[in-house]
Amino acid sequence: MSVISKAASPPGPRTRTGGSRALARREAMWGYLFISPFILGLLAFTLIPTVATFVMSFTNFNLSGAGTQFVGVSNYQRLFRDPQVWSSLLVTVRFAAIALPVGLILPFGLAVLLNSESLRAKGLFRTLFYFPYIVPFVAAIFVWGALLNSETGWINQFLRWVGVANPPNWLNSTVWIYPALVILGLWGIGNAMLIFLASLQGVPTELYDAAKIDGAGWWGQMFNVTLPMISPVIFYNLTLSLIGLFQYFTVPLVLNQGTGAPGGATMFYNLYLYKTFFTYQNMAYGATMAWLLFVIILAVTLVLFQTAKYWVYYAAETR
Amino acid sequence: MRKFLFLSLSLLLIAAMAVACGAPSAPAPSAPAAGEQPAQAEQPAVAAPAASAGRVQIRWFVGLGTGSSEDQIPAQEAVIKRFNESQDRIELVAEFVPNASARDVLATQIASGSGPDIVGPVGWGGSNAFYGQYLDLTPLIEADGYDLTQFNPALVNMYQTEEGAQAGLPFAVFPAAVFYQTEMFDEAGLNYPPQKYGDKYIMPDGSEVDWNWDTLTELAKILTVDANGADATMPEFDATKIVQYGFIFQWQTHPNYIGTYLGGANSLLAPDGRTAQIPEGWLNGWKWWHSGMWGDQPFIPTGPIIQSPEFGSGNAFSSGKIAMAVVPSWYTCCIADAGQSWDLAVMPTDASGKVNSRIDADTFRILKDTKHPEEAFEVLKFLIGEGSLDLLAVYGGMPARTDDFDEWLATKQQQFPWVTNWDAISAGLSYPDVPSAEAYVPNWSQVWDRVSALDSLMVNEKNLDLDAEAAKLQADLQAIFDAAQ
Repeated sequence: MSVISKAASPPGPRTRTGGSRALARREAMWGYLFISPFILGLLAFTLIPTVATFVMSFTNFNLSGAGTQFVGVSNYQRLFRDPQVWSSLLVTVRFAAIALPVGLILPFGLAVLLNSESLRAKGLFRTLFYFPYIVPFVAAIFVWGALLNSETGWINQFLRWVGVANPPNWLNSTVWIYPALVILGLWGIGNAMLIFLASLQGVPTELYDAAKIDGAGWWGQMFNVTLPMISPVIFYNLTLSLIGLFQYFTVPLVLNQGTGAPGGATMFYNLYLYKTFFTYQNMAYGATMAWLLFVIILAVTLVLFQTAKYWVYYAAETR
Repeated sequence: MRKFLFLSLSLLLIAAMAVACGAPSAPAPSAPAAGEQPAQAEQPAVAAPAASAGRVQIRWFVGLGTGSSEDQIPAQEAVIKRFNESQDRIELVAEFVPNASARDVLATQIASGSGPDIVGPVGWGGSNAFYGQYLDLTPLIEADGYDLTQFNPALVNMYQTEEGAQAGLPFAVFPAAVFYQTEMFDEAGLNYPPQKYGDKYIMPDGSEVDWNWDTLTELAKILTVDANGADATMPEFDATKIVQYGFIFQWQTHPNYIGTYLGGANSLLAPDGRTAQIPEGWLNGWKWWHSGMWGDQPFIPTGPIIQSPEFGSGNAFSSGKIAMAVVPSWYTCCIADAGQSWDLAVMPTDASGKVNSRIDADTFRILKDTKHPEEAFEVLKFLIGEGSLDLLAVYGGMPARTDDFDEWLATKQQQFPWVTNWDAISAGLSYPDVPSAEAYVPNWSQVWDRVSALDSLMVNEKNLDLDAEAAKLQADLQAIFDAAQ
């Protein structure tokens, strides 16, 4: 009878639980190791400062040198009594009412044109429309500030040349400043246009073929095929646009040195928050304002996500 | 192979950590028309280098007031070099920050615990933005035996706080005056404005009238000319084609300044220290100014005109297209493009014959968080002492030290040899605004900004109900004062 030692005999199949658990643990460890820099950065530069501002909002911390004390909810009470807070929110909403539709419809329209089969030199047009997006934003603001000057700016000089006797006082009118800011922001539509273009090119052509067979014209195809198929991208752009609008800051800071001119019409909420922190040096109240902004943006985003199920179509979903 | 893998992974981890620490936690949004780009912070023109071995480094922050223009920096750097070479204990370094962003930059530095040691030159406005953060110099003055008798006692007292601390020492004073273009007066056949306080103005017909704001208005209208050569008093005058304006408040358009010049020194805070008020004289002054820009016979440029390149991109008098400007004497820092035919005249009176003028006063202040107060005080003594005349030459200020006045005058005469009437500046010392138009009120920065919003409305909106805006301003100021209680 030959004796086959256990050592010599090939090992039997491993049990599934023991071996795979160790493998899973090792894989998880490598995964955590790779994402650890991001986690550390998130903790150090986002989560900890977020908690710190929350704590700060219950104190009277400022730069004046007086000791920091716990003041309860008085900063939050002040928030509701501060007319500038509500005025700034109204400024932001007023601007968003114009900027949001333009910021979605215009890049989408350009993408539709660029996706047209009959357009030649698509690459050239794509480059031309995207090109302004790479111009340094602050430099662009200065350029547009000169272009929009009501007396000597090229836009008004052109308008006068074509017969407009009293062209708008773009940057100094409390009414025309918002369209002026929207015009200024048009240089940034290249990125959104590219995203829309990519989504348009992903719509299956057989759907258009089927629609044509059913007698759908251009508008019919647009509303029944194109828009539903790219609705996830529209939803993505809409969400990020809204967040960006509530955080609108750089343009009024650079264009009017953060004064809110003309007449407070560009004192956006985020700008007022910045000034509260650094110009008025009231860090605690600024922290409170930051939390209000967070709550507002969170509420808007949640509403968007809740309503998305009624109008966003994900091809992979089954109903 | 294993070593290669380990090295690659380590490098990848380090790179990933660097990226994660710099990246936002959310994916960057696309940029639709109303999208946002990361803010680009302005950097100081000169960053502080590391201290030389053995020397205490004192950081001097320039920009809260004047001093950060390109043409002013070399003279200040020369003063710094002179100080550093005169001793081996202290190394002075400067940060030149554009005025538009200086307050924000300084606030950020103080908040992060890396504030400078000395700030200046800074006037009341810049100082009030950091109220309560300056070192009490009294112990240093006493320990050093610093001689305060070299200054007018009134100027020394100006820098005492309500608590009795000496938060600054006199350095420069900038009385206001009327800057005017002699060639424009010659062309219009007008006599020049009075050179001395109390003198009358002689009209073209030889009659003598009081030199007051009504007379100035009349002259300004005659000196406002359209492209066809008609002035604002003529029926054929075309207000849409003005090529030359008669008057401007040069960088003095904040309603506090205009109210002070036209309505007299006052405050938006009532004497009870809690109630917001709009002085009637100030409101009338604002109405005069608005009417001067938007009335039927405009003689003051509006906001868009002032900002246009043709009119100096904000520095309108230096465009050579404005006949008269009211501004403190620091304006000589920035008047290079105004040509060589401007001169100085005294300020007009109000209807009652009273001169309402302004004196800006700059100094250097030591921040109370400085780690080297004694060394900072040594620097301060140099800046307001041995280095003061060189600095005043570029700041445009008169020395607070009366002994230095003659030397200052000689420098000015050399710098602007065509100007004949520097006495208009020195005589203005008798007409300070007390309280200052920039005097401290609770939540000063926020109040200043809120009143500035009225400024931007007035220079840009023709159809403005100033009474309603003043009422709104008062309500908003009351909310700001209440928040400070």
